[in-house]
Amino acid sequence: MSKKLIWLFFILVTIIAPFVGSVDLHVNNIINFKGFEAQIFYDIRLPRVVYTFFAGSILGITGLVFQTLFRNALMTPYTLGISSGATLGAGIAIKLGLSSMLFGIAAVSLFGFLGAMFTIFLLLYLSRFLQSSQQISLLLLGIALSLFYSAALMIVFYLGTSIQNDMLIRFTMGSLSVIGWENPILLAVIGGFTTLIVYLYRFELQLLSLSNESAELKGVNSKKITLILLILSSFAIGILVSISGPIGFVGLIVPHMVSKLYPFTIQKRILTTSLFGGFFLLFCDTVTRIMPTQSELPIGIITALIGGPFFITLIIKRHK
Amino acid sequence: MIELHALTCNYGEKVVLEDLTLSIASHISILGANGSGKSTLAKAICDMIGYNGNIIVDGKNIQKYAPKEKAKKIAYIPTKLDVYDEFLTLEEFVLLGRFAHKKNFFDYSTQDKKIAEKKMAFLNLSHLKKHTLSSLSSGETALALIAQALTQESEIIIFDEPTANLDPKNSKIIASHIKNLKQTHQTVVITHDIHLARFINNNILFLQEKQALYFENNFFTDENLSRLYGVKFSALEIVYE
Repeated sequence: MSKKLIWLFFILVTIIAPFVGSVDLHVNNIINFKGFEAQIFYDIRLPRVVYTFFAGSILGITGLVFQTLFRNALMTPYTLGISSGATLGAGIAIKLGLSSMLFGIAAVSLFGFLGAMFTIFLLLYLSRFLQSSQQISLLLLGIALSLFYSAALMIVFYLGTSIQNDMLIRFTMGSLSVIGWENPILLAVIGGFTTLIVYLYRFELQLLSLSNESAELKGVNSKKITLILLILSSFAIGILVSISGPIGFVGLIVPHMVSKLYPFTIQKRILTTSLFGGFFLLFCDTVTRIMPTQSELPIGIITALIGGPFFITLIIKRHK
Repeated sequence: MIELHALTCNYGEKVVLEDLTLSIASHISILGANGSGKSTLAKAICDMIGYNGNIIVDGKNIQKYAPKEKAKKIAYIPTKLDVYDEFLTLEEFVLLGRFAHKKNFFDYSTQDKKIAEKKMAFLNLSHLKKHTLSSLSSGETALALIAQALTQESEIIIFDEPTANLDPKNSKIIASHIKNLKQTHQTVVITHDIHLARFINNNILFLQEKQALYFENNFFTDENLSRLYGVKFSALEIVYE
């Protein structure tokens, strides 16, 4: 029952989301495609709703993939430093003033994507020196990497001009505002594709949740599947972070909430996690736009405010 | 038929098996002191660890098997099981053993599910099928692992210390199942449990000083065991019947 209420609530949030914001919109003007209200609705508000949904979906599904492959509820692209890598990459592009396109892709996106990929390959390389029982060391490696990246980002910051720094600060706090349909469509394709591939590999993923060895002995090509899923997830996260900046904790909270609502095996929670992630971020984003603040509150602040205490309870519960 | 050719295995820095060449044509129990390389040998046969030399299973190098083909040839049953997915039920866990046989894209077939049911019934686990794995006792978990391995319908089953965590009664239950399975599978049993080894009565491979000693009989005498293990034995007390 409470499940139905949650989904109903999410649908309501989705319906009101495009009407919430600093400018009040009237339904009549929107339906008639009239004036700047319609323009705000169709070019800013609606694209933002679509973009936010798929951003949340990517954060949720990649969180589930990382947690399952590393068999640890604390392992997500955010906690392992993938997001920080992407942030540093994007930060360097902003500092270098690369606002133009490289090979047809925005330079900031390209650098962010490279930062994420570099980090996942570095982690995979370093994990070869760890035994499978030392998963927690991998988490520590991720935290060390995050701290290192933050320090490097501070150097970029001190080298930057005040205009660049303003961009950098806003970027590192995460923002879901988009103009036009280019980014929402890009993210919808990547988000849909990621969920689809994870869904196609759901039986393999379920076996990998036991152990790499055990999956291998049951007929799964463990190395190949693990690599495909980790690289795909890092790719999606890299693109997302390079557009919106890092958005913490969603990948950690969403899979956990879904598992509480739907106490089923991992392979049965894939699509739900993807959907729930989308709606959850949309809800958080709507909250930031309703808050009576001077200017719009960055999304990263809301998710961290919810996620920080959640993270702490999760750690304490695990040790009980 | 499992053939080892000039097999050398390391455990960490230490060489545990050196230049071992032998053929395992029928049922075998592998015994030896701690650190003598029993589990290492089992893992090498499944190609789960690196080694030097060649391991040929039914005429084909084990490294040349595709994962699914290998799963249909050999099933490996570990001593213990860590489960990350807290909601995985026994029934779902056992069905995972059918992965190599799964043809249907969307789900395991009715046939797969029937086989899983049958194996659970065979091991008297049917009443637990809706229980989560984390709620099972060690004895039940040991049976669950066997049920899952049986759904693979492999030709060879490797048991890695199947009674290591079990009390004598559960050990006996597992021992009788292994003995039964000798009729349908080639069994390789790694164990410290001398009662188990004597009960299932496989030929013995005793690993010692990087080499293997082979026994078809005369293994379970007090003199022999005392010599091999360096501990005084007097007529084994517990008898599984």
